Amino acid sequence: MDGSTPLGTAGAGPAMRSGPRPRRRRRADLFPWMLLAPAALMMLLVNVLPIVQGFRMSLLKLNQYTLDQFLDAPFVGLRNYRNVLFDADSPVHAGMLLALRNTALYAVVVTAAAVATGLAVALLLNRDFPGKAAARTLLMLPWVVPTYVVGTLWGFMWQRDEGIVNHVLVDVLHLMHDKPFWLIGGNTFFAIVIPTVWRAWPVLMLIFLAALQAVPEELYEAARLDGAGAWQRFRHITLPALKPVIVIQVMFQIIDNVYSYNIVAMMFGKGAGYPGEWGDLLMPLLTRQSFSYWRFGEGAAVSFVMMAAMLVFVGVWMRAFRRSMTREE
Amino acid sequence: MRNERPPGRPAGRARRRPPGRRFPAARRTARALDVLVWALVAFTLSPIAFMVYASLSDYNDVAGGHLVDAGFVAHWENYREMWVDVDFLAFLRNSLVICSLTTVLSTLLASLAAYSLARFRFRGNHAFSVAVSTTQVIPGMLFFLPLYMLYIQVDDAGLPMMNTYHGMVFLYTAMFTPASIWIMRGFFVSIPRELEDAAVIDGCSRFGAFVRIVLPISAPGIIATASFVFLLAWDEVFFAWVLTSSPDVQTVPVGLRLYMGQHATRYDLMMAAAVVSVIPVMLAFFGSQRWFVKGLAAGAVKG
Repeated sequence: MDGSTPLGTAGAGPAMRSGPRPRRRRRADLFPWMLLAPAALMMLLVNVLPIVQGFRMSLLKLNQYTLDQFLDAPFVGLRNYRNVLFDADSPVHAGMLLALRNTALYAVVVTAAAVATGLAVALLLNRDFPGKAAARTLLMLPWVVPTYVVGTLWGFMWQRDEGIVNHVLVDVLHLMHDKPFWLIGGNTFFAIVIPTVWRAWPVLMLIFLAALQAVPEELYEAARLDGAGAWQRFRHITLPALKPVIVIQVMFQIIDNVYSYNIVAMMFGKGAGYPGEWGDLLMPLLTRQSFSYWRFGEGAAVSFVMMAAMLVFVGVWMRAFRRSMTREE
Repeated sequence: MRNERPPGRPAGRARRRPPGRRFPAARRTARALDVLVWALVAFTLSPIAFMVYASLSDYNDVAGGHLVDAGFVAHWENYREMWVDVDFLAFLRNSLVICSLTTVLSTLLASLAAYSLARFRFRGNHAFSVAVSTTQVIPGMLFFLPLYMLYIQVDDAGLPMMNTYHGMVFLYTAMFTPASIWIMRGFFVSIPRELEDAAVIDGCSRFGAFVRIVLPISAPGIIATASFVFLLAWDEVFFAWVLTSSPDVQTVPVGLRLYMGQHATRYDLMMAAAVVSVIPVMLAFFGSQRWFVKGLAAGAVKG
């Protein structure tokens, strides 16, 4: 089948194919590749090649003495992987389990909160009311704020003494007696989750809102005539209609949040600061330890495991929801 | 009751809601929801409002911990001093140059590739689409060192890459092209192919049909993708920190951290700089919002 012409059927019927077919086909086959080539070349140089080298690096002893040799550094097999997992002396191992726990919790909590908020607000906005367009635009503003500004801004807001959050909680609302520490101890987890959710949900709202507007109004009318209540309409019409979008967005959110770096790095001063046992995530930990201790082999090992884990997650996720994804098309 | 309704609104709402006894209650509910929306807007925007407030405050009030009690006098001089305390203009210029070039290149490459993936069936289409998604899960840490080494090698070969605009643009373009392909592909799929077919029959080359027919129709998707790439590039922190060592190319996030001094952080100036660094993205977003909403929705929903 000559599927590579944009025409499909038009113009080139089966009868015309018998003539100058070989040359035409060859040219036709190249066109999509020529369009792909520039992007493919970039991806080859910046994604594929470095992944291969990155995997190779994870098998090498790369420290301040061997870094110059790069890929010719001493080969140590899986020792980096073992060090990261079990070696108490490895700076990358230190704090790894805490960062792993935090990252898992953070990814799940942020994703759930951001998707739920985005969906709820999209439903709230999916009616006619005065100033709807203005409200939607204003609600998008947090998403326009770069994450590094989110990190610095909230890092300032969470300050114990001069921060606005404690001022509002203690001095204005009198919800607490003493000003709590937000950037030390267990509260650190909320200090990184809340700003992330604050910045993430608006764009989800926008996407859900667009999806909601594509749901045919007739479905709701029919349901109403059948006596379905608001919850039933949401449960049996809205949710199924939005499922493909939700599935994709949840997946991207999980990926984004597992690799979250900017907010933590900016919030805890100069990127080198230790965010504490409830504030540290995998990417900030990896970056900090690899660069401070010249442990690039171990850094590559952890990165590679993270990537493999995320690939498995994406594969499982897409497989699990394949049916709800294809139904839409 | 009916007469009190403002004119011009009833049609849509009346249809959505059953007439009769539930009407007054539903109206009250709608009012309550309106109030909820605006409360939500106020709550959501409060951190941004605080950022602007802090950017205009006096440093002594910030450092002394009575930022709010002190009473508000706008210290506009913060917006003068921030350029002096740190050479923020250089960082802003670097960000603007690098992100704009990245946006143009990335959108260009992505529209070519996405069109190819959306329109043609060929061996490798599926594999390439999977590869495009896969790039989204590569941690920056994994390819930082290989890339760093690659740049050093190219440097040694006589073409400077480290600490150059084109070095950063090359990296960012490659980083953000896959995500752009993802969005654009959804957009191209939603465009009917009959128009191109007609153009090709009329003697237009396929590339000509793409340039003259498809691209103009896809303008909303292209603008959406472009502003999305700009946003992503503006937001990049990791490589901006680890790959650059010269203020000639360092971008805004690097500059923002310079307000953190050894002993004290100039929060007033840092917030002023933060406000300034939000403005370009905000302009990009609001300038393209009309298309952005449409384009992103098409890409996101179809993707």
